[in-house]
Amino acid sequence: MRNYIAAVFDNSSEAYEALHKLWQLDHAEEITVHGAAVVHRDNLGQFQVDTKETHPALATAVGVGVGALLGALAGPAGAAIGAAGGAGIGAAAGGVTGLAVDAGRADTRHEAAAQTAFVLEDGQSAVIADVSEEWTQPIDTLMRGLGGVVYRRAKSDLEDDVWYEDGYYPYDYYLYPYEYIPSRYPPSSYYGW
Amino acid sequence: MGKHENIKIKESTKVKDALDHARETAQELHGAISDAAAKSGGAVKADLEAISQKAKAAVESVKASVGAQQEATKKHLTEAVTYLEAAQKHAAEGLKSSGQVFQTSIRQTLADARASVQKISEAIAAKRSAQSKKPPK
Repeated sequence: MRNYIAAVFDNSSEAYEALHKLWQLDHAEEITVHGAAVVHRDNLGQFQVDTKETHPALATAVGVGVGALLGALAGPAGAAIGAAGGAGIGAAAGGVTGLAVDAGRADTRHEAAAQTAFVLEDGQSAVIADVSEEWTQPIDTLMRGLGGVVYRRAKSDLEDDVWYEDGYYPYDYYLYPYEYIPSRYPPSSYYGW
Repeated sequence: MGKHENIKIKESTKVKDALDHARETAQELHGAISDAAAKSGGAVKADLEAISQKAKAAVESVKASVGAQQEATKKHLTEAVTYLEAAQKHAAEGLKSSGQVFQTSIRQTLADARASVQKISEAIAAKRSAQSKKPPK
């Protein structure tokens, strides 16, 4: 099954380790990673995406694309927020990316549990990935072992979200199709969302 | 942590097959283009010449991996070849241009390379999915 996942950690080093382990799971043929990126929210509530882009406009485009994905992981309400150029993400008082739970769309309690709101609090980091997985346990167990919390939405479910029209799904383009960790931290791009 | 909490990640001692190689080649192509595009001052023609060669190698690598695959995998790989050939074309166009047109060629080449890696990883996922459903021998 093709899913988007977000694994949230309390610090960036855990998120980088999680990214590395995620690709190791791919090499071990437990899952297939189609793309991944690491995002951060600093202690001032600034949202950051690890990106190679140095051009401000292009770096912002990456941030907006990934921001839309983060919003979509929270369900249609979140997608609408993410769609607004990521402007809603982190703009709330308290600096929390807390997006609406869309439990009403979930067919089962299990799905509802898996589709809880994606939350990135100040000081936290997350690995965002587009994966194919036969079962969810490998990623869930791995991320839990690293102290992370996993959020997941089926790619097909995202395609049902009203916001995305004309078959245009911008997420894939902004996730690195290999293990990318910036050579310096903090990353060069900051977004004042 | 309970005993079921431990996912044992296999050591990467497995023999890489043609599909793995094709994916690596396309990933390297994407990495090279995105590195060039991210340079301060932007990519230069020397970058694009190297990228054009990498794209050509990637096309050959993917084509070489198609033969032994099942239909679903083949379909994704055929699409990957189309994107890689487009990347080659856009890189070639970039070599003959300058200014904004050159930068546009870089962006198009990057998008083509990204799409090709996507298609190859989808091919790999299809292959792994089929293998996981096979009963053990």
